[in-house]
Amino acid sequence: MGVGYRAVGWNRNKKRYDQVVLVGVLLSIAAFVVLSLVTDKGLTFETALIRSTAITAFLLLHVILCIGPLARLDQRFLPLLYNRRHLGVTMFAVAFVHGVFSLIQFHALGDTDPLVSLVTTPISGGAAGFPFQPLGAAALAILFLMAATSHDFWLANLTAPVWKALHMLVYAAYGLIVMHVALGALQDQRHPVLLAAVIVGLVLVLGLHLIAGFREKGSDREVAPSGTDDLTGWVDVGPADEIPDTRARILTVSGERVAVFRDGTRVFAMSNLCQHQNGPLGEGCVRDGLVTCPWHGYQYRPEDGQSPPPFHERVPTFATRVVDGRVWLDPEPRAAGTFVEPSTTTNP
Amino acid sequence: MRPADPQQFFVGYVDGVPQRTRSFLAPLIALCLVVVASVAGLAATLQNDAGDGVFEFGVTKPFAGWIERLPHPVLVSPDPSGDGHSRYLLSAFGKHGADELFTGAPGAWYELEGTLVYRDGRSMIEVVAGSVSIATTPTGAVHPTASPDELGVRTLTGEIVDSKCYLGVMKPGNLKSHRACAVRCISGGVPPVLLVRDDEGYATYYLLVDDEGGAVNERVLPMVALPIEITGEVERHGDLLVLRSDPDSYTLLHE
Repeated sequence: MGVGYRAVGWNRNKKRYDQVVLVGVLLSIAAFVVLSLVTDKGLTFETALIRSTAITAFLLLHVILCIGPLARLDQRFLPLLYNRRHLGVTMFAVAFVHGVFSLIQFHALGDTDPLVSLVTTPISGGAAGFPFQPLGAAALAILFLMAATSHDFWLANLTAPVWKALHMLVYAAYGLIVMHVALGALQDQRHPVLLAAVIVGLVLVLGLHLIAGFREKGSDREVAPSGTDDLTGWVDVGPADEIPDTRARILTVSGERVAVFRDGTRVFAMSNLCQHQNGPLGEGCVRDGLVTCPWHGYQYRPEDGQSPPPFHERVPTFATRVVDGRVWLDPEPRAAGTFVEPSTTTNP
Repeated sequence: MRPADPQQFFVGYVDGVPQRTRSFLAPLIALCLVVVASVAGLAATLQNDAGDGVFEFGVTKPFAGWIERLPHPVLVSPDPSGDGHSRYLLSAFGKHGADELFTGAPGAWYELEGTLVYRDGRSMIEVVAGSVSIATTPTGAVHPTASPDELGVRTLTGEIVDSKCYLGVMKPGNLKSHRACAVRCISGGVPPVLLVRDDEGYATYYLLVDDEGGAVNERVLPMVALPIEITGEVERHGDLLVLRSDPDSYTLLHE
């Protein structure tokens, strides 16, 4: 969390994270270059650079795309999510080297402007004749947009929903890159293991997203109001003791996800969307008396959904009541930061 | 998996990683690094051999001879032994042909500096800009006068490549990954050749011209770097094979 903007809000975990990423990038590039030399493939320096950065960026993109669903499936993966933006920017930087060197290698010093040449390679029939480089260039443009707006400055100024929608374009970039590889490198490099590796990567990314999606489907089911008398219009959340201590149950009411927390005997509810990156607050926990987002540790006070001073984030709150050990939720959201007295349960 | 203890909950800006998470993640990160390096290494070992073309980058040598236009300029240089002639395809710097560098009258003797590119017995010179001059033909230099050998009509299957890259400037200089570059080179005037490999992998190069002997560069661009079948008249000009055929008759062999 921060109250101002700095280029990078360094801390020990981020430094370690970046060190591991750097080691991974260097290992990948070194493995490709060294084994190309050892097996005497006869590549020029430029080709070795273009290919080693291509495969490194492609592998990093797979890691990036897998971290999200893995962290949803098992919170022990959350440290990988925490600094994923640095991983993304690193991946863009590696892909940029690949793109720039490819542009120079294949399009520069000719009779046409390199950028014009990039998009005017003749199309011939079949996969072999389809120009694959513009697909990679389009993906690189998306990755640039994401890297350039990755800072919290842009997150705050674009607002989390817009920023998140923009960054969902990573899936479009991934699709373009898979096609770039399938219609490019795999047209030349016909060893079946290479095709199999691309397919395994695709299945891994899609599979993890589908599994994580199915897991979340339960909380997406709209819960209808079932209260009577003075609880008319309220939603039955279930027994209070079924909500793990310091944790939340997520349910969807009126089309919005709401996180209902229990912290000892206190029960309270707020929007499931963290104001920072719209992270799932309900998958976080109550730490030091504050609801803590699992993604980047943004914190909110239970009673009013406000970040403690000097921070200024705030989320909508909801009224709760505990009746006969069951938690009831008023589906009407209060304005972000509105005080709502937490309810209490006698069975902590 | 939900840790009940909030102190076991990872918060990025709090120094350290909870023990339970650390012991789970550390071996997985190590495994991930091994997998990344292994996949990159495996891809390196499984990639195609880029061939044994040579580009003597940074090394320039003097060359001399007559220019034969097929229609691209070809340097016909007397062998030092005096027994015959060598023919060098020519290109300029970058993705450009050498057509405009040789403007003298037919039969002129040229001297130039250039960098050699060679593969499978076929050579090209990348001509150094400004090094071309016309000089007096040396005493004893014999201009080849024999007509080309007509080898008849042949149907050949191969790939159109730009002669400069394939012979050694780029490695690899053929197939899909290199297609855009080959298009740029051929569009820029580098002589297009049909690369034909026999069952044992031996390469033969045919300089492509149309049925009238004219340049085909612009007409072959959509067909570059793709499997292709060409039927045409084959001529032998010294050690250089020329394939005369109208590009409209070329047949792409899509898989």
